[in-house]
Amino acid sequence: MGRIVGHLDADCFYVSCERVRHGSLRGLAVGVLGNQGACVIAKSYEMRAFGITTGMPIWDALPLCPEAVFVKRDFQWYEVLSRRMIEVARRFSPTVEYYSIDEVFFDAGGMTPADARTLQRAILDEVGVPVSVGLAASKTLAKLASSSGKPFGCVSALGEERLRRLLDGRPVEKITGLARRSARRLAPYGIRTCAEFARADRRLIRRLLTKRGEDLWWELNGAAVLPVRDVPALRKNISRGGSLAGAVTDPDRLAAWVARNTERLVEGLDRHGVFCERLTLILTFKDGGVDQRRATLPVAAADFAVLYEAAVRLTNACRPQGRGVTYMRLIAEELTARRHAQLGLFDRPDPRQKAVAVVKRTINEKVGRFALRSGATLPLADVYRDEANAYDVCDIYGKTCF
Amino acid sequence: MCFGIAIPVSDLPEELVEQRSDRVAARGPGELRELRFTFRDPRPELPLWHGNRLVIYPWGNRDGRVRLPRTGWCRRESLEAGLWSHLRPEAVDIPAAFGLEKGVWFLIEEGIRGILVRDERGGPHAYMLTQPASHYYRIMTRHPRMPVFLGWQI
Repeated sequence: MGRIVGHLDADCFYVSCERVRHGSLRGLAVGVLGNQGACVIAKSYEMRAFGITTGMPIWDALPLCPEAVFVKRDFQWYEVLSRRMIEVARRFSPTVEYYSIDEVFFDAGGMTPADARTLQRAILDEVGVPVSVGLAASKTLAKLASSSGKPFGCVSALGEERLRRLLDGRPVEKITGLARRSARRLAPYGIRTCAEFARADRRLIRRLLTKRGEDLWWELNGAAVLPVRDVPALRKNISRGGSLAGAVTDPDRLAAWVARNTERLVEGLDRHGVFCERLTLILTFKDGGVDQRRATLPVAAADFAVLYEAAVRLTNACRPQGRGVTYMRLIAEELTARRHAQLGLFDRPDPRQKAVAVVKRTINEKVGRFALRSGATLPLADVYRDEANAYDVCDIYGKTCF
Repeated sequence: MCFGIAIPVSDLPEELVEQRSDRVAARGPGELRELRFTFRDPRPELPLWHGNRLVIYPWGNRDGRVRLPRTGWCRRESLEAGLWSHLRPEAVDIPAAFGLEKGVWFLIEEGIRGILVRDERGGPHAYMLTQPASHYYRIMTRHPRMPVFLGWQI
């Protein structure tokens, strides 16, 4: 027998986490709201039955389900349960990939569907979260299998007959990594289901969807080309940002958001032990416009002062005056491991800035995140006052995906 | 603000549920039975912990004959400014699992802070404490004020 990959996917994870500590939510239509309290970012199966979808604003969801209970997100709690889930999985497999906050891939060599059921039961008993499990010959198939068994299913796609049942009639969009645009490219060739994708000519898939598509073709045909990684690969970029809690027109408040996202980005760069050489800023405006600007830094850096100056310059280049900025994202690219970084010949690191960064990091580690922060963030006192804003899903490290 | 609260009947003493059986409602597909208290009720009431006992008292004052503030809520700012001092308010905790404002039911972790005052006949009246709403609460409920929560803040 070849390789066996397992995929474990928590069922409506954020809601399940809330139900672990708030038993009164069991059996109810529950929606977890996102960072601003406006949109549903996770929903229980009971809520889904009313037609409520992820990303739906609360004011659209309410008329569909007036008895629903809404919950404020708490990523710190979700991380606690996510890591407990990993610990249980590690008892069952030597190689476990922390894919995302609610998903795990694992080497399932020698594991039977009965063993997978035992793992599923152990997670429910010890963590309190229901999960669906898939077993297959590749990661892509295992993920399709777990998804087909939701909620609380355990599906094996090992063996020709089981594999056929999994792929037949399943829309090609269900394949992770195959975007809707790719599906549109495949449709003229009569490729609409997973089974048709697997049966298609490999060279045609390569031509239409490049190497990434070909990898998925191999995976769907049972040849594992995507490894189960227990150590995340070096990231190509690190980004921080999100909604700005309304349309920001005040220049000081906008600069404060730039400072906040820069500080979060610097934390990410520190955590991954990398410098970046390029910075990209994306702003979305109330009028629907989107502006994206990019700057190459004079030297590979992870200092707040350098990145903040660049980010402010990029922001001003977008001419945001009076337009109302609703969303901001900062992306650090061209990452280099710090031990390999090339120092600039003329722009030597400023020892005072370095000392400030050390003091800031030390105090924040001891007292709490953002306890010591840039003065430029002062106009965002309301945002910092809410402790839940101190932690986001991207602050959970060690995942191989988002 | 917070216009109503609910507590699952499983969290309440049986005799109290029996006394207020008219307040029992079933929620959602799971038909979770709970006791609901809203300020719009014909006889608005609030459950609260008073002297280690769970009791149900009138919620604020909607009756013009009683000489107490005609509202169901007490602003924390006004309480701290001493505007309620002449009524000798006692701090109380209002247990609640869910809160209601502008049609939005939201989760409450522990409960809500309140005060208990007495009318000229010695009758108890409970008021819910409020404060300016956090950004999150304001977006979620579209109300500029929110209750003073016990435990986890929204």
